Amino acid sequence: MGKTLAVSLLTIGLLTFSIPLFAHHGAASYDVSKTIVLKGIVTDYVWSNPHVFVKVDVKDDSGNLQHWLIEAQNPRSQTNAGWSKNTFKPGDEVAVDAVAAKNGEPIGRFTGRIVINGQVFKP
Amino acid sequence: MPNRLAIVISALTTVLALSPVLGAQTGTSQTKQEKWNNVPPPESAYAGKKSGPAPRRDLSGIWDGTAPGGKGINGAKEYPAVLPGGKGIDGGQPDERNIVHPLPYTALGEAALKANHPSGPGVRTVPSALSNDPLDSCDPIGFPQMELYELDTIEIIQTANQVVYLNGFYGNYRTIWTDGRELPKDPEPRWNGYSVGKWVDDYTFVVQTIGMNEKTWLDHAGRPHSDALRVEERFHRVDHDHMELTVIIDDPKMYAQPWVAVNKYPLQLLQPDFDIPELLCSPSAMADYNKQVASTLAKPKPPKN
Repeated sequence: MGKTLAVSLLTIGLLTFSIPLFAHHGAASYDVSKTIVLKGIVTDYVWSNPHVFVKVDVKDDSGNLQHWLIEAQNPRSQTNAGWSKNTFKPGDEVAVDAVAAKNGEPIGRFTGRIVINGQVFKP
Repeated sequence: MPNRLAIVISALTTVLALSPVLGAQTGTSQTKQEKWNNVPPPESAYAGKKSGPAPRRDLSGIWDGTAPGGKGINGAKEYPAVLPGGKGIDGGQPDERNIVHPLPYTALGEAALKANHPSGPGVRTVPSALSNDPLDSCDPIGFPQMELYELDTIEIIQTANQVVYLNGFYGNYRTIWTDGRELPKDPEPRWNGYSVGKWVDDYTFVVQTIGMNEKTWLDHAGRPHSDALRVEERFHRVDHDHMELTVIIDDPKMYAQPWVAVNKYPLQLLQPDFDIPELLCSPSAMADYNKQVASTLAKPKPPKN
């Protein structure tokens, strides 16, 4: 990675998610060996097939902004996981566990813990 | 007093604001607050529940196919495209050697498999932008893929001469004729084929399907089928709340012998007021996803400076 982001890197030797969460698209594009925590402000939340996703502006240590996109599964899978079209709003402050794209692009996939405006999201 | 009132109002507002997040998980209509977009109950909700006897010659109802064990694995449930121990789901193999339960491909079948590049988890998965899965451009899911991939919430409606199968995932339906007609000879192929069914006893309904076009994959792992495919389904009504589905694939062009793709898969009866959330495939939404996400994910890693 080039610039240091406002993330903490947790190296985890085993998969942190269960297979059913990713029934539609595999994780071929993601580095699943590491969970990162992305902290920032939501700028967009798209509730759509094939993937619900959230856009988050993340500041690195130098104060530079990175525009991340973090994806989940389709709306029905997400409804089954307790999400709705109202789970996120632009302006929300979030801290999200994710796995990141292998190619270094600011794209990630949700892997578990989500904190929205200081509250842990518990569906 | 005004300050206390302000605190109460602000506390109530906070609770209400959080309720879409906190209250989103709903169960069966016995416990849910919502009438719409229902979620199947967790497995534990079914534990220890006694069911009444099976009705005779009746499959009708809204059925929960998200039962334990099957939903997440891609590939026909008896033949998941994974290595022993569930490994290998991130792809990297051109073929299916060493998967836990290999399929009896013919040479043609093996070649047809390799031409399909799946994006779901499995030994042959590729990034979705590099996949040629017809579902990614919203082609109809077809039959039997609608039972070998995302057998989620389905609804079955019975009339005097039909069993109608409604698949919640991507909103498909199939008509199974029960009026005794023969399967057609050399029909124009269909995405969902041509189906006839009959009761072999009061609790077992057997369906034969032919005439499926070659535009669909058999499952999400990219298994192929030809127009010679014949599918047999056996729906067994176990008791009032349970049904088991078995699906048998017979395609001599692609597979050296018939094989059981789904074996007594458990379906649980849902409440009759269960509202299945809609999930339809939209080509414009897919194109938008490919543009915003998939194509970026598939870019090669830039060389180190």
